[in-house]
Amino acid sequence: MQNEPILSWKVAGLLLGLVLITATALVKPVGVSTQYVVANAVVLHSAAPNLAESNEYLAKYGEKNDWGVGYGWMFVVGMFLGGWLSAFITKRVRQRETPALPPMWKAQFGASSPRRMMHAFIGGALLLFGSRLAGGCTSGHMMSGISQLTIGSFVFGISIFVSGIITARMLYKKRTAA
Amino acid sequence: MNLLILGLILGMAFGAILQLGGASSYHKIVGTLLLKDMAVIKLILMGIAIATVGIYALDLVDMANMSIKPTYVVGIAVAGLIFGVGFAVAGYCPGTCIVAAAEGKTDAVVTIAGGLAGTLIYSLVYPAMKGLIGITNYGEVTIPSALGVTGLWVAIPFSAVLLLLVFKVLKDRYE
Repeated sequence: MQNEPILSWKVAGLLLGLVLITATALVKPVGVSTQYVVANAVVLHSAAPNLAESNEYLAKYGEKNDWGVGYGWMFVVGMFLGGWLSAFITKRVRQRETPALPPMWKAQFGASSPRRMMHAFIGGALLLFGSRLAGGCTSGHMMSGISQLTIGSFVFGISIFVSGIITARMLYKKRTAA
Repeated sequence: MNLLILGLILGMAFGAILQLGGASSYHKIVGTLLLKDMAVIKLILMGIAIATVGIYALDLVDMANMSIKPTYVVGIAVAGLIFGVGFAVAGYCPGTCIVAAAEGKTDAVVTIAGGLAGTLIYSLVYPAMKGLIGITNYGEVTIPSALGVTGLWVAIPFSAVLLLLVFKVLKDRYE
């Protein structure tokens, strides 16, 4: 069975708002997707320094962080640790029957982990390509951007839901057996 | 406080809230996109409602370290359409897949890997994308700056509308 969230949306939403405010007061608004660039830049800088330094986009983020890690990177590391800690305390780590398969996906597409991995990989690539083109993701654009009443962030928020809703409908068009 | 430690602490709070609120769940995210389960969108809109007033209240006393992203309408709209497909196919977003990976969901680890690949592809085609970023680019514009008013006067009614939306309008819809 699906686990329902520990916190109601009211409490989680209130806490989320407080974190967004605190981050903006102390450092800067919350954002995640830039760190994918930083990760690529740092790894490529040690593996293929010429490529990393000659790539305009990687250099923009790599040089700013001195080809190393900074505040934003630690924020993402924190997300992993914080997510793990709360999942561990509430006994939500490794709850799935098959680690790669969300039960809902399995009911629709079958019990194939490789197929799910393919969806997850392609989905991830599209997510980050879109995020980098927009200049932010659900956190940087949607949460932080709309909280600052940025006009482009409203465009992004509407666009991702229009596209996401249509895609989800197409994926789940066939009635789920079971 | 050391900036790196501060980042770690804020990130931990952010990750824990997403996890406890159900945002790292494939079921909850795809349920949202199928318009059946409103918990995650209500969580996000509630957070935005609180943050908008808080950030613009801080801005009034010049204590908000704001960072406004440029608005290039066409490029962002296209980007959002691409992101939306990934959102539904992966069932995570770039932040929640990190939290889901921490919960031991191996598909989320693969989404992170896909994200790194997507970022690399973007880095390589970036020169070709500049055109898309250049057109309909209005710069760092917000609703208050476009209207020429103090932010809080937009923030308060906007947050009120969001609260009305989450408490009165959006309802779960199960079959």
